[in-house]
Amino acid sequence: MKSPAARTLVHIGISAILLLNLLPLIIALSSSFRTIKNMTNPLQLFSEFSLESYRAAFTKMHFLQALTNSLVLTVTSVIVVVVIASMAAYPIARLNNRLSKFLYLFFLSGLVVPSQMVIIPIVQTIQGLHIPSSQYTPILMFITCSIPFSSFLYSGFIKSSVPIEVEESALIDGAGLLRRFWQIVFPLLLPVTVSVIITQGVWIWNDYFFNMIFISKAAHSPLPLAMLGFMGDQTNPTAWNVLFAACFLCALPLLVIFAFLQKYFIGGLTVGSVKG
Amino acid sequence: MNSAVMKKTMYWFVVPALLFYLVFWIYPILKLFHYSITDYNGFVQDYNYIGLDNFRQIFKEGIAGTSLSNSLIYTVIFVVFSNLVSLGLAFLLNMNIRAIGLYRTAAYIPTLFSAIVVGFIWSYVYMPESGLLATVLSWFGLNGADLNLLGSYGTALYAITAVDVWKHIGTTTVIYLAGLQTVPHDLIEAGKMDGAGSWQITRLIRLPMLATSITINVTLSLINGLKAFDYPFIMTNGGPGRATSTLLVDIFRIAFKEMQYGKASALAVVSFTVIILITTFFVLKLNKREVSA
Repeated sequence: MKSPAARTLVHIGISAILLLNLLPLIIALSSSFRTIKNMTNPLQLFSEFSLESYRAAFTKMHFLQALTNSLVLTVTSVIVVVVIASMAAYPIARLNNRLSKFLYLFFLSGLVVPSQMVIIPIVQTIQGLHIPSSQYTPILMFITCSIPFSSFLYSGFIKSSVPIEVEESALIDGAGLLRRFWQIVFPLLLPVTVSVIITQGVWIWNDYFFNMIFISKAAHSPLPLAMLGFMGDQTNPTAWNVLFAACFLCALPLLVIFAFLQKYFIGGLTVGSVKG
Repeated sequence: MNSAVMKKTMYWFVVPALLFYLVFWIYPILKLFHYSITDYNGFVQDYNYIGLDNFRQIFKEGIAGTSLSNSLIYTVIFVVFSNLVSLGLAFLLNMNIRAIGLYRTAAYIPTLFSAIVVGFIWSYVYMPESGLLATVLSWFGLNGADLNLLGSYGTALYAITAVDVWKHIGTTTVIYLAGLQTVPHDLIEAGKMDGAGSWQITRLIRLPMLATSITINVTLSLINGLKAFDYPFIMTNGGPGRATSTLLVDIFRIAFKEMQYGKASALAVVSFTVIILITTFFVLKLNKREVSA
């Protein structure tokens, strides 16, 4: 691959593969910039730049309201997950007996159970506890479903990269368990915390299922649920431009965050997954 | 110092997570087993125990058979293609050339979109007559108008699986890339010194070093495939007929549309068993290989 010609060929090859891969998104983006009435061939890329479709989608999905709802749901869930999953992982990683091994597998096995399967007993349990069905109810399930993977990442990292010796000085000072964990161990877990925030944040932000089950008022809908209001439009060519504008409005917040924090997104996926 | 320092009182730290997990996950799963032997409809708390009737019904009516085979086909295609494509892409994106960061970013972008958005955009891709595929085919003089991938029995399942593969390539590729980057350079140099060609280096050095990433990706895609729900739910609603009814789509339909929660629970118990058995089998098998590699 020394010659410039071979290098150019490689670049052309990779670009072609990736462009083909992104083609559906590129066409949707191009269509979203068309005026609502322009139904001519969507494959004429970027032949028109109008924000009319975006304006229509913005109003139809109550964008600002939905964005706020999404933020509240995601941020709250992720904060709670970071706190309780890191705490749970600490004894699981540090103690080496039957109970800790059992807990490790017990949490991990939750990963294979799909939420669609257990949704009715879940709804009943929540009703049975007299937790009102409100815009915040999905948070409970976001937290619960994030526990298996997050505590798995945390305990793996504590075992491999946080030696007991780091807690020695705190022990000599006679610091309690809580202080030892929060002041010494937790700050060292930063790479996993970033990874948990990103992996769990992305699925919670994008989830429509729990929101669909628990949220009934349009004013309480987060972004993916607001998208359900466009159901049916995908088979109606006259509605495509607005639908695609809505799709990009829905994805925009994550795309912006990704643009700034790229290396954390890509690095965060691999913490604990590759030990060499 | 271990025993003195690492006291059992640490277990209190597990309590908050354990409470969430037991109340909102484990208890509902146990309830599922309970409901599977009743005629419960999901709403009226007044139901009878009917033994194994639900199980007999779902097998006799062929519900379990169809959805089980749909889910398994979905899983096999998903596991094979998402791993092969991602592995190939990871090798490409591991090259030492300019703008590689940009290429990696481009490969990752589809993973950021919500399933519902992906479902909408791909419905357009597959639309007969005016959709993306139909239009492109007609450019080449082929008859794209009759191509109805989502609407015909033979192709719908493969078409929706392809969407899931497309959505997941980014994640899988990143994990393979990370694995490739752990392959030490001197090992590859040593291989070259010994006269190994690039295929031999890939086959004999890179692939064995990727064992951990392969285990992770195959396991994750296996679980993901068995859990297939989003795209059949959003794009085809299980149809045409029951061509794309995966286990979860059927459970959801029987529970919410037909209001036969007992029957849905029985199917859930069957799915649960299948998922646990298949996952455990592969995890054990893959882990064993990994150690020996």
